[in-house]
Amino acid sequence: MPSPPAETFVFILPSIHHVLRGEKLLKKAGLDFDLIPVPKEVNPDCGMAIETGPDDLERVRAALNGAGLSIEAFYRRRGKVFDLLD
Amino acid sequence: MSDPIYCDQAATSFPKPAAVIEAVHEALSGHSASPGRSAHRYSLSASRIVFEAREVIAELMGQEDSDRVSFGLNVTQALNTALLGFLRPGDHVLTTSMEHNSVMRPLTWLAESRRIEVEAVPVPARDPVDPREFRSRLRKNTRLAVVNHASNVTGVIAPIREIKAALDGVPLLVDAAQTAGVLSLAPVLDSADILAFTGHKSLLGPTGTGGLWVRPGLEVEPLVRGGTGSRSEREEQPGFMPDALEAGTPNTHGLAGLAAGVRWILETGLDRIRAHELDLTRRFLDGLAGMDGPTWYGPESADFRVAVVSINLAGWSPSDLALALDREFGIMTRAGLHCAPRAHRGIGTFPTGTVRFSFGWFNTAGEVDRVLAAVDELARRSV
Repeated sequence: MPSPPAETFVFILPSIHHVLRGEKLLKKAGLDFDLIPVPKEVNPDCGMAIETGPDDLERVRAALNGAGLSIEAFYRRRGKVFDLLD
Repeated sequence: MSDPIYCDQAATSFPKPAAVIEAVHEALSGHSASPGRSAHRYSLSASRIVFEAREVIAELMGQEDSDRVSFGLNVTQALNTALLGFLRPGDHVLTTSMEHNSVMRPLTWLAESRRIEVEAVPVPARDPVDPREFRSRLRKNTRLAVVNHASNVTGVIAPIREIKAALDGVPLLVDAAQTAGVLSLAPVLDSADILAFTGHKSLLGPTGTGGLWVRPGLEVEPLVRGGTGSRSEREEQPGFMPDALEAGTPNTHGLAGLAAGVRWILETGLDRIRAHELDLTRRFLDGLAGMDGPTWYGPESADFRVAVVSINLAGWSPSDLALALDREFGIMTRAGLHCAPRAHRGIGTFPTGTVRFSFGWFNTAGEVDRVLAAVDELARRSV
């Protein structure tokens, strides 16, 4: 039986500028994350999004919020399934 | 003829630091595609170029948040964006008699087509503008004041903090064309609500770069609407900065050079750059004062000006003088009205104008001495 898909969390920010601001501060904080194309399942933007795993989730979220970055949407991702979170 | 001397830094800076040339070359030859539009690695590297340019400009301005910096082609586009995007029919706007046509032409158009009332505060020929002149002209419908931080004709520096204090809360748009890269902008942004800058003058970047800083909470309508790579599902322009004011693919390669220019300035130090330019300006003014023939305009003290000095020489028209300086001595200046007819009316040099000498970091004291010797020789010839 295949193992269930890994759980990750995806942050949608207004534009690439905000994503790169996020990248800069998350790198500085030494957090684990990735930049991915905005998943078209949830958002038609041309840009990129920030993805992180459960381990650093709260730290990533706090860092983005702390820098005043506007998080437009925040999803839990399991494979191709996205759940919108608060 | 010995080596040419470039004294037209107020028009565009020359030469550029080697790092600027390398950065443009690297951006063109490296892996930079369309920034913010796709998500592949070449697009991302282009996005990083634009992002880093924005960050370093914000650092130069003493701003933590680079969101409020939007890029465009030059200061003229930035000023047009601010004026057309902020003023509404029926508004009254204050400006000064020292403004460039990049301010006066859009204002004149707005006055003629949008019922905007424009009033220019007179600037004395030898002194900075008196801030009280703004206070006495305030009206109920005064919605904006537009002031150049330093004149491109006389070099006079405007007292931005005092002007803002006199405005009783009216927003202030500062044209930093002649000061970004020479004077510290951080204190200016304590007073300015919008600031327009260009990349190719003292910021030492390539032409085709410039932009606008807009204070948080203040909205400026875009001049141009179109693709931003964000909110692609919508046919309305995004309202957030910087995307709101940045439709269309930006000048990524130019911004790579601009970022390198600003980094070079931060490493060299604004204080050192300003001190060097002040030394050259003092040397030039002192030299002129010892000659018969030249008339020079603007403040007596170099402390009240950037490295811009306009002169006339008895017996010479500005155009003939500039031509002789270039042809015989290899000295490059700019003759005429410098796209600022009102400023020339104010100093009594309209319509023939002046010959403008403007210096920068890469000019030397030896060059100023050679310029002075050339002016002296031509002054004697005319007598």
